[in-house]
Amino acid sequence: MDKVVEFQAFIAGCLDSLHNYAMLLARPPEDYEDLLQESLLKAFNGFDTFDRDLPFKAWVFAIIRNTHIDRQRRRKTSSLEDPLNDTAGLLQSPLFSIPLAPEDILLRQETVERVREGIRRLPTLMREVVELRDIEGLSYRTISSIIDRPIGTVMSRLYRGRNLLRTYLVEPRRQDGHATRGTP
Amino acid sequence: MNCDTMKSQVFPYVDGELPAALRGEMEAHFAECDSCRHVVEQELAFRDAYVVRLRPDPTPPHLRDRINHFLTGLVEQRARTRRRWYKPWLFMTSAIVLLAIGVVGGMQLAAVLERGNTLDEVVEASLDQHQKLGRGQLPPDIVGLSPRAAEDWFRKRVDFKVSLPDMKKPNVALVGARISRLANAEVAAIDYKLDHDHVSLFIMPGEAYNQLGLSEKPRFKVVKRRGFDVVIWRHQSTGYTLVSEIGVRACHVCHAPNATFDGASLDSFLRL
Repeated sequence: MDKVVEFQAFIAGCLDSLHNYAMLLARPPEDYEDLLQESLLKAFNGFDTFDRDLPFKAWVFAIIRNTHIDRQRRRKTSSLEDPLNDTAGLLQSPLFSIPLAPEDILLRQETVERVREGIRRLPTLMREVVELRDIEGLSYRTISSIIDRPIGTVMSRLYRGRNLLRTYLVEPRRQDGHATRGTP
Repeated sequence: MNCDTMKSQVFPYVDGELPAALRGEMEAHFAECDSCRHVVEQELAFRDAYVVRLRPDPTPPHLRDRINHFLTGLVEQRARTRRRWYKPWLFMTSAIVLLAIGVVGGMQLAAVLERGNTLDEVVEASLDQHQKLGRGQLPPDIVGLSPRAAEDWFRKRVDFKVSLPDMKKPNVALVGARISRLANAEVAAIDYKLDHDHVSLFIMPGEAYNQLGLSEKPRFKVVKRRGFDVVIWRHQSTGYTLVSEIGVRACHVCHAPNATFDGASLDSFLRL
């Protein structure tokens, strides 16, 4: 199959996922379209090196992440402005160490959209692994290779992220019926 | 297994990420512990109610259009590139450019030869690239390919022959490869691992090697610099540079340890 046609077919199959991930990382947030396009160009140029045994979207996720890091370096962005340096949200907290049973949430019959809103509110480093696992369905090992961190780090961020999500979901509902949307 | 261990592993269990043995231990624990079984059942219910129904946000129509436009542009750009090669004027322009490059390159080469340090420059450039390859500062274009697949990859991209040794030795691995620049020429840079040591092999076209102006003898130019061993030689119409920190043992990437040439051992040629 022609390289361009094959590449187009791959992209068409996972554009929503790629768009989501670029939106999660981009700073400023409105830059996510440029981040996505620059990443797709790099992916196309390196398409010959793509290992067909791996998930295509995971390969492009890694490219998006590396492109984001390159762009931050080029701009000499301070670490505070970089969501991937947002370690404050990962500090040890008793809240994160208590596994919250989801019973209350199940009883309240929350909507899927409210769960999605809760994920958007998570600190970026937790949100990243929660989205890659719970929305994209990637394995811990694949996530580990995308974020270039050990599997233990993936598990720890996932554990904390899911518990924090549950605290959001058991919060009293806001008057307007919507959770505050976190920065994309 | 106790209840605390079980609770710490409940997410990997629900995600299907636990090894079979640990999974079996957890299931044996559930059979005896109502409290832990309840926790897992709730997690599975939460997953079925919400997690499996989560989807990425749909791409906005304007962005979808922009990406489609961008991808269509790739097709057109490719078609233009293909058509362009059939235009006679492009051949003439290319010839003029190549001539100009040849003249400028020749002048640069003459300047280098006047300085009399061509070998030093190649050694330094090879060392620099070897260190960068080892540190990941020069990322490979290809990784995890067999020697034959790597040769095919180069065949489509460089206009000189790249032949790589068969990797039949358990202690030798082809880590990655890239197209790089050395001695003002495009070269194939191959990163090997021999046991735990990095060995870099640079393969350059014969013309580039000839422009180095190196003497024919000794056949293997051997230089020790800053703890590294650099060997430069030509075989038929191709030039080679081998860089490592392990002396003559680096040659074992291609040759058996007891290999001989004209009855002489590797050591006698190289004397590293």
